[in-house]
Amino acid sequence: MIKKLVEIVGQDNFTDQLEELVPYSYDASMNVYRPDAAVWPESTEQVLAIVKFANENKIPVIPRGAGTSLSGGVVPIKGGIIIDLSKMNKILEVSIENRYAHVQAGVVCDDLNRELARHGFIFPPDPASSSVATIGGNVATNAGGIKGAKYGTTRDYVLGLQVVLPTGELMRTGSYTMKCVSGYDLAKLFVGAEGTLGVITEVTLKINPLPRYAMTAVATYARLEDAGKAIFQTMTSGVIPSVMEIMDKVTLKSIRENTDIALPDAEAMILTETDGFTWEEVEAQMEVVLGILKNNHPVEIKTARDEKDRLNLWKARKSAYATLARVSSSFVLDDVTVPISRIPELLVGIQGISQNYGIVVATFGHAGDGNLHPQILYNEYDPDQVERTHKVEKEIFHLAISLNGTLSGEHGIGISKANYMTLEHDPVEMDLMRRIKKTLDPNNIMNPGKRALD
Amino acid sequence: MPNQIKFDEKMRKAIVQCSRCSFCRAVCPIFDLTKRPIANASGKMILLKELMEGKLPLTESVAQAFLRCTTCMNCTTNCPSGVDPQEMVKSMRKDMVGAGFNNLFKAMGETIEKYGNIYGETERHDWGRKKEKAPYTLFLGCVGTYREEESVQETLRLLDILKVDYTMVDEVCCSGVLEDVGYSIKEDLARRNIIEIQKTGAKTLITTCPYCYRVFKEHPSYKDLGLEVKHITQFLKDFDFKVKTDKKVTYHDPCDLGRHAGIYDEPREIIRKIAPNFVEPRRTRENAMCCGAGGGFRGAFAKESVRIARNRLSQIIEDTGAEILLTECPSCLHNFRNAKRQKQKIEIYNLTEFLAKLYQEKTSPAKEAA
Repeated sequence: MIKKLVEIVGQDNFTDQLEELVPYSYDASMNVYRPDAAVWPESTEQVLAIVKFANENKIPVIPRGAGTSLSGGVVPIKGGIIIDLSKMNKILEVSIENRYAHVQAGVVCDDLNRELARHGFIFPPDPASSSVATIGGNVATNAGGIKGAKYGTTRDYVLGLQVVLPTGELMRTGSYTMKCVSGYDLAKLFVGAEGTLGVITEVTLKINPLPRYAMTAVATYARLEDAGKAIFQTMTSGVIPSVMEIMDKVTLKSIRENTDIALPDAEAMILTETDGFTWEEVEAQMEVVLGILKNNHPVEIKTARDEKDRLNLWKARKSAYATLARVSSSFVLDDVTVPISRIPELLVGIQGISQNYGIVVATFGHAGDGNLHPQILYNEYDPDQVERTHKVEKEIFHLAISLNGTLSGEHGIGISKANYMTLEHDPVEMDLMRRIKKTLDPNNIMNPGKRALD
Repeated sequence: MPNQIKFDEKMRKAIVQCSRCSFCRAVCPIFDLTKRPIANASGKMILLKELMEGKLPLTESVAQAFLRCTTCMNCTTNCPSGVDPQEMVKSMRKDMVGAGFNNLFKAMGETIEKYGNIYGETERHDWGRKKEKAPYTLFLGCVGTYREEESVQETLRLLDILKVDYTMVDEVCCSGVLEDVGYSIKEDLARRNIIEIQKTGAKTLITTCPYCYRVFKEHPSYKDLGLEVKHITQFLKDFDFKVKTDKKVTYHDPCDLGRHAGIYDEPREIIRKIAPNFVEPRRTRENAMCCGAGGGFRGAFAKESVRIARNRLSQIIEDTGAEILLTECPSCLHNFRNAKRQKQKIEIYNLTEFLAKLYQEKTSPAKEAA
């Protein structure tokens, strides 16, 4: 194996050194498994040769971008070869007149957006990890982010893909056009497939003009129900805010006690933003949103027009993850998603589960699209806490599904949620998913052991 | 094999605190160059985790991996979980030496001990600035003294022009760098420096090297120095300069001066006085990318170090379109000058050197025209 891989990518782009494989045994979840080797291909041809070789020899291959996944998605549970696409990081074409960008899979999100901003354009999905996350990883997990309610997720921007299929063939699928109903939408099949169907090597993305103005408001509520009402009333008012975030009282308390940010003792805080191409448009939208926020008995409302005030209002939300990461040694960060009006039930339910098991769960997230992030805080070296954390997670998944929700809004299933797939998907659907996987990947070499597909 | 490293409470806490978000990938100069996860902070924190848990045996190649860090501290500044990985790297380098994994810096320590400088140079340029007594003593450090002599010459000329009453001493290496690469400061060299400096009767010690500045200021071996220590940018910030340039000027924050010592504003205050056309690079101040010279990296991995400087320099040129790149660190200066390609028109100076040049141009404008 070594000889063949070195032949394909060169000595400098191959490793089977234990110390180099150790970091590839992890992502940001608690799953740990060793790969047998890692390669850094520099071209699609090299990826193709690697996959062909792996398929002939039935060796697992795991495509990997920045490895920021929170689900074990890139952790090689069955060993095999890590294909790290970080060196395939060229922006191949930015076509403003046709509204698309064509990039290699290893391009970092922020690098793409910096290039697009020079033309007044943007690729809107903005995962928190955008400073390091690759476009290939975004596509593989169908990454979302804060602006999902208005701008959707990665799926909404994928026009076409170049994919190395598990059977060692190179496929271009999709289009360079804004519309396309030519054949099955195979490109979208690979979006959110978490590398189980092939290695994405190039991506054609729809891009948007960059909004020029934004206005921000923050509202706190003494009752979760009021915050919940404010959210779904806003989302159905005719105005779709570009941001509609919520933080629960555990999150607020943690920020209040561990930073110098002054926050009221409230059940929930909503952060919202309207954006657009003129001030008038942005203000008119915000007027509607503010009216709704006010009607639902807020404790306090603050608005910001200039950049300085805006950043101030964002401070609490931006510091949520870091503060929680600092107060606890270990955590699990989930991404359950429910229909928008069920958010208060989800939040109340999570708090109940947290109390039942004596495990702190702080919840924040993207209320505008129903996607919440319960951050379960525990100590990974305390077996009792680990066990209770698993139970908390299990109950949160059951709760989300009972509210007509989903296990994952934007992180993916990976290893962590694989056991819960049948909770959300009926046997017919599971069977079809497995048949699709088997058809494309008969030898089960592509990121095996994930999503309960094998 | 028994685990030879003792993980103290601080280290254990940092190891579990790392959430492996990998945000450090965006700021690590070695990762930027190699794209290898072992290069950046989260990769190293994972190695430490497995060493601590006894899953990974401590081998020569694991010990080597910890040498691949410039200790630029950009990961620390950008870590959402509040971990200071470069501190862990430095501490681990010491522990690994303690466990019998000597590294290539052992030889540097011997050189410093024998020759009083990191290069093993036997002859030191006489700058002709030695006096018996003066209110200010200037300390150059090894890199300036032996690798950027012309730049130093200009810095000295500037101090003369500004009529600063200073002296210089028979300095030896501050030897602080050994602390960062697994070894310990040379106490006898520290004592020699203290005695020489104190002999001058100076009230203030001015350093041109940000690293020496930190060692004099922070290291316990220099606690009896008894002088106020200033980096030269701190010393010069309140001076009036009678020179100006219309050229487009930018500034690179040395890691040791910026993130490590918190000195961001003083050099900028000086630059604003002399260069109205001053532009910041995109990655600047707390977020400035490293030039690749720090933490022993240049000594151990010279080629990669220069490639990092090349990347940083190209980025700065692309971001700013500046004609002049200023910094105030002999190591950054040296690395950038080595990295600069001929076709790149940008001129690179230490700020003090550039000031002296402006005075020179002012007094002999014909020369400039020529």
